[in-house]
Amino acid sequence: MNADAVREKLSGVASAGIAVKKAAAPERLKNGRFLAGAMVAGVLLFIFSLQQLHFDYARLGSGTLELLTMAVKMWPPNAADWRLVLLAAAETLQITWLAILLSVAMAFGLSFFGAANISPHRGIFWLVRGFAALMRAIPVLVWAIIFVAAMGLGPLPGILALAIHSLGMMVKVFADSIEEMDQRLLEALRASGASWLQVVVRGVVPSVATYFLSWTLLRFDIDLRYATILGVVGAGGIGWQLIRAMRMYELNEALFITIVIFAMLYAVEMLSNYLKKKIIKTA
Amino acid sequence: MDWQSYQRKKRRYTVLLLAGLTGITVLSINTTGFSMARAGAGLGEILRFILVDMLPPDWGSISRLLQPTLDTLYMSVVAMGTSALVSFILAFFAAGATTPHPLLQVIARAFATLLRTIPDMVWVLLIVPAYGLGVMAGTIALFIAGVGLLTRAFAEALDEIDMGQVEALKAAGSSWLQIMGRAVMPQFWPELLSWSLFNLDTNVRSSAIIGMVGGGGLGFAIQAGIKLFQFEEVTMAILMTVVLFVGIEFLTTVLRRNII
Amino acid sequence: MSPILTVQGLKKVYNDGTTALQGVDFTVQPGEFLAIIGPSGAGKSTLMRCINRLVEPSAGKVHFNGADVLKANQRQLRLLRREMGMIFQSFNLIPRVTVLDNVLNGRLGYMNSVKGAIGLFPQQEIEAAMRILARVGLSDQAFKRASELSGGQQQRVGIARALAQNPKLILADEPIASLDPVTSESIMNYIYRICREDGITCLINLHQVEFAKQYATRIIGIRAGHIVFDGAAEQLTPAIIQQIYH
Repeated sequence: MNADAVREKLSGVASAGIAVKKAAAPERLKNGRFLAGAMVAGVLLFIFSLQQLHFDYARLGSGTLELLTMAVKMWPPNAADWRLVLLAAAETLQITWLAILLSVAMAFGLSFFGAANISPHRGIFWLVRGFAALMRAIPVLVWAIIFVAAMGLGPLPGILALAIHSLGMMVKVFADSIEEMDQRLLEALRASGASWLQVVVRGVVPSVATYFLSWTLLRFDIDLRYATILGVVGAGGIGWQLIRAMRMYELNEALFITIVIFAMLYAVEMLSNYLKKKIIKTA
Repeated sequence: MDWQSYQRKKRRYTVLLLAGLTGITVLSINTTGFSMARAGAGLGEILRFILVDMLPPDWGSISRLLQPTLDTLYMSVVAMGTSALVSFILAFFAAGATTPHPLLQVIARAFATLLRTIPDMVWVLLIVPAYGLGVMAGTIALFIAGVGLLTRAFAEALDEIDMGQVEALKAAGSSWLQIMGRAVMPQFWPELLSWSLFNLDTNVRSSAIIGMVGGGGLGFAIQAGIKLFQFEEVTMAILMTVVLFVGIEFLTTVLRRNII
Repeated sequence: MSPILTVQGLKKVYNDGTTALQGVDFTVQPGEFLAIIGPSGAGKSTLMRCINRLVEPSAGKVHFNGADVLKANQRQLRLLRREMGMIFQSFNLIPRVTVLDNVLNGRLGYMNSVKGAIGLFPQQEIEAAMRILARVGLSDQAFKRASELSGGQQQRVGIARALAQNPKLILADEPIASLDPVTSESIMNYIYRICREDGITCLINLHQVEFAKQYATRIIGIRAGHIVFDGAAEQLTPAIIQQIYH
């Protein structure tokens, strides 16, 4: 589940992705023969993959039947443990909030060293960029599983895993925003004798603040989705409640938990979209 | 407005905002038991764990990990193909420009939102009891989440097509099928392919970890390695995951550039 | 009187191989209002940026107020730069902060690095900045965001920022090239009047010969990185203009 990229594309702020895609989409496809070849290859790959997975189609049928029976059994949702579930949902939100806080604080500092136009040294620039690439290449759940193995169960390894992974993306997008800003503004500050620190704080920060803020909102959305499932590896939150319910085959409770997850994610997505629009308007 | 009142106004706003955020943070720290000291100690432990227990990677396990890696790829391809097909049909209901009835549009959109908003990892948890552990449950979970993503994306693409071309054909007396083939599809194709390739990308990323809750593939190998304390093999699996990500991303980028 | 600025054998070759300046010599006396004219790409902007080292010259010497600019280290360079105010073609204001903050940015060279960064300006500097804004007729705009102002107003903020530096020299790089004719006239008036009143020496890059003739005490014509004319406005004959621009 890589909400990262999904949101990057879907969100209004992450216009980079969309703009590129839009600009690259002409009226007609450009390379007809290549396309035809790719389509045939794609279909063949699909058939080959399907074969290689060795699905037991009888099981697919009976499983689907079973799923439908389960779905019926799930109704009505059982909210008897609502206090526990809501507390777990709150914990998920808090894990996300702390992870965001940590990663934004660190990324904010690092991004000025990872932006080619203001990084004090070429070597530092590559170091920061490489570090960030590594952090985000490894999936959150893999970080979480490592952290849980190293530190034991609980929300803390979850927070750190989320923070590390988001740090990777935040450093990249923050530094990119800095690189995209109008260089002439910085020239003016340098010309008046401002120091590096002054150029950064008085020139760069006010110019990129709204971008940073919208990226942070977007990332909150993504991290919340991740935090929802952190429980899977024992790192706390509402995911753990869902696993518990499913293990005990408490289907009605599982439905209630799923509804809570949906409501929480949907509400936060709406809220963050609303805030992003507002931020962009004031910018 | 003079300097002082300007400063005062600005300060009041900042103080309010900071107080609110600090409140949330303190509450979060209290309930999650987070502390910088513990985080610092934990980071030391993590570093030791990574440097001592996880390195060097167990190169010998490559042959064992090859099958899970391929499974991850196969799951992604099959899920992408099926969800693109289903979404293609659903999108015509979900797009305002093509829907046969507004009510159907609302239903299709709500359905897509539901599938998209619930994380695919949660879908796996919900369907594993029905399909059993393994690649089938993983593929189906990816398929469900993919339908949510693509239906919305395709519908938006359909809504953005230039209706002028459609009207021109309508005015010339073309049939529904002719309009679709000559005006709608030529504009829709690039978006369709671009989003499907994007979905392949996200599927690979998801399927690598979906295994941790019983969806097969590399995630399952990582989870199993941790449980059996085979940490160097886990490192190898992580490396293969990263290589797979980068490889697929490269491939989809090249394809996208050449096709669209 | 000793010259305020001496430029000797100044050369600039960019990394991509283009030669912008091929040996430029001139001397500026205090109080001069010197216009530099020439076609686009002649090297006017590079010349100006070599003087305060926003662009590093490849060879030559620049002396400002007795100091060797090209030999200055980072710290000394900051001290030299704060005495040279710069005005830009595209104003180069920070759009999301207030007009007053933009003017105060001109004081950064005088501040301790950290204090300046977090904006702890002493009360008298804020008052001084407000007085400068009054001089360019922008008192009532002080707390607006810079981006809300019109082009002409933004350039007046640019002038105020340069003025806040208490400069001995103002480098104005095509200050009116992005403005309409009426606004251009008014901006030229502001720059000229302020430099005269405060006794600030001014180097101004101009594209329009008429403005140069109208205001400058002396004109330098540059073509393809060479000085082809250096003299009073009256000496600038149509034939010479022809030579500079064609």
